[in-house]
Amino acid sequence: MTSVAGTSASPAISIRNLFVDYGPRRILTDVNLDIPASQITVIMGQSGAGKTTLLRCMLGLKKPSSGSVNILGTDIVRASRRELNAVRKQMGVAFQGGALFSSMSVAENIQLALREHTSLDEKTIQIMTRIKLDMVNMLAAENLMPAELSGGMTKRAALARAIIMDPKLLFFDEPSAGLDPSTAAELDQLMITLKTTLRMTIIVVTHELDSIFKIADHIAVMANGRVIEFGTPQQIIASANPEIQGMLNRKPRENIVDTDAHLRRLVGG
Amino acid sequence: MECNLKSGAGYDLLELSGEVDLQYSPQLREKILGSLRSGAPLLIDLGRVSYIDSSGIASLVEGFQAAKSAKLPYGLLNISATAMQVLTLTRLDKIFDLYTDAAHFEAQL
Amino acid sequence: MRRTLEKTGATVLQWLEHTGRMFNLLLLVSFELLQPPYRLYPVVRQMYFIGARSLTLIVVSGLTIGMVLGLQFYNILQRFGSVDLLGAGVSLSVIRELGPVMTALMVVGRAGSSITAELGIMRITEQIDAMDCMAISPSKYLIGPKLLAGLISVPLLTMVFDFVALFGGYFVGVVMFGVAEGSYVNGMIDTVEWSDVRIGLEKSLIFGLLVTLICCAQGFYMHLTKAGSQGAEGVSSVTTDAVVLSSIAVLYSDFLIEALF
Repeated sequence: MTSVAGTSASPAISIRNLFVDYGPRRILTDVNLDIPASQITVIMGQSGAGKTTLLRCMLGLKKPSSGSVNILGTDIVRASRRELNAVRKQMGVAFQGGALFSSMSVAENIQLALREHTSLDEKTIQIMTRIKLDMVNMLAAENLMPAELSGGMTKRAALARAIIMDPKLLFFDEPSAGLDPSTAAELDQLMITLKTTLRMTIIVVTHELDSIFKIADHIAVMANGRVIEFGTPQQIIASANPEIQGMLNRKPRENIVDTDAHLRRLVGG
Repeated sequence: MECNLKSGAGYDLLELSGEVDLQYSPQLREKILGSLRSGAPLLIDLGRVSYIDSSGIASLVEGFQAAKSAKLPYGLLNISATAMQVLTLTRLDKIFDLYTDAAHFEAQL
Repeated sequence: MRRTLEKTGATVLQWLEHTGRMFNLLLLVSFELLQPPYRLYPVVRQMYFIGARSLTLIVVSGLTIGMVLGLQFYNILQRFGSVDLLGAGVSLSVIRELGPVMTALMVVGRAGSSITAELGIMRITEQIDAMDCMAISPSKYLIGPKLLAGLISVPLLTMVFDFVALFGGYFVGVVMFGVAEGSYVNGMIDTVEWSDVRIGLEKSLIFGLLVTLICCAQGFYMHLTKAGSQGAEGVSSVTTDAVVLSSIAVLYSDFLIEALF
C-alpha cells in the first residue's frame, strides 16, 4: 500500500490516516494524501468510491472519525470554528449544482463574501464583481436571478462566486456534470488559466475521463473508500492495477452473441 | 503595503511596495482618489509590489475612471510580469497606460 | 409485538433527538446574534415576509372570528337575559385565548410553511453548505433574522387580530343586534384585567418563537432525516410536518400556560 501519496514540495493540503464512518458504515479507510500547491489535482473514482466524502472532509463539512486534514498549516479537524473560518476564507468552492443562493441575483451571490468579510467600498465591490464576471464571460448576467440561468451559466456564476476573494485553494465538485462538451472545454481552459496566472491550487472531484487527462497535473484514484493510486496522468495510464485499467478502458458493450438469451431479456419468459 | 505619495515635476508619483490585498486596498484607493481630487496627474509605481489581488486592481481601475472623468493623465509604472498576467486575464491590459520609464510619462504631460 | 415496540421506541428517540437539536439551534443562534456585526435590515426584511404579508389574512380572520364570537355569545347570553355581558365575553375570549392562538396558527400556514420549504430547498441544493464554506454562519445569517422577526411580528399581528376581532364582536352585537354600545364597551373595560392582556401577549411571544423555531429547524435539519434523501418530495413532507408540529405545539403550550398560570 502506498504510504503517502503526494509530491515532496510543501503541499497545500495534507491528509493523514483519515477514517470516516456514517453510523455503522465505513466510508473512508486510512486515506493519506498530499495535494501539491499551485497544481491541478483530480480525485477520480466510480460513484460510491468516497470522493464526495473526502471532499466534504477537506471543506470542513464532515468531521472524520479519526485522522487529520491539514490545510495551509491548520489541522481543520482539530481547529476551532474561528480557525476553520480563517482557512475557509482562503478557499473557494464550486458545488455540483452551483448552489447559488436562490433569493439573490448573480452579482449579489458573488459579492456576499465581500460584504460579510470586508469593509470595502461599494464601488470597489462592484468593480471586483464585474472583473470576475468578465473572467467567466458572464457580464451580461449580472442582475439575473439564479432561476433564470442555464446549466452552463449557473456553473460559471458559481465559479465567479468561488474566486471572488482570490482564494489560494479552489475546489470543484463534478464541474462538467450536465454541461455540453464545448462549455465543459471552456471551463477546463479556465481552470488551467486560474492555475497558471493566479497560482491557485485546484482540486477537482470528478469521474469525467475526458476532462481529467486534459487538466490534471496529478490524479488520485479512489475505490472503496481508499486512495489506490496517486501520480501524474502518465503514471496513472501506465498503472498495472487492474481496477484502474478497468476504469480507464471504457469496455464496449459486448456484442450480442446469444440472440435467444437477449430476446428473452427484452421480452421476458 | 507601503505607499508614498510624492508631488513633483507637474505630477504626483505614488510609490507602492509590498502586498496589496483586501486589507490594504482601501488605503490605496483613498490615496489614488485623494491625489486625483487635488487635480494632479498621477503615476503609480508598482515596481516593488510583490502581490496584488483583485481588490487592489479594482482600486487601480476606479482611479483610472476617476482620472478619465477629470481629464487627468494616469499611468502605471514598472508593472511586474505576474501582475501583467493578471491584467491580461482580466482584459485590463489594454485599458491602462503602462510605462517602464517615468520620463515617458513626463513627456506626455 | 416486539417490532411495534421497537418502532415506537425508535420514533420516540427520533422525536427527542429532533427536539434536542431545535433547542441547540435556539441556543446557538441566540449566542451568535449577540456577536457583531449587528444587521437590522435582514430582520426588517423577514418581518415583512412574516408580518406584513400575513396582515390581510389576520385582518380577515380576526374580523370573522370576532363576528362569530359575537353571534355565539349573543345567542347564549340572550337566553339568560345577560346580553350586556357580550363585550366582556368576546374580549376575554379574544385577548386571552383566541387572539394569540389563531394568529399563531394563521402565521404557521402563511409564513411558517414557506420558511420550512425555503430552508429545506436551500439544504438539499447545497446552498447552506456553500454558505458554510464561505465562512458565513448559516444559522446566524439565515435563521437569526427569522427568529427575531417571528418574535416581534407575531405579537404585533396578535394585537391587530385582537383589535379587529373586538370590532367584529361590536359590529354583530351593537350594530346588528342592538346591544347598548355603552354596555359592550364598559363590559370590556371592566372585565378585562391587565393580567389577561399580559398573558395574551406572553402567549403570542412564546408562540412566535415556537412557530418560527420549529419551522426553521424542520427545513434546516432536513438532511438529518429520512426526507433529506428524497429531494422535492422530501421538502414537501418536512413542510407538512412543520405545519402539523408547530400547530400542535401552539395548542399544547396554550394549554400548559393556561394550566400553570
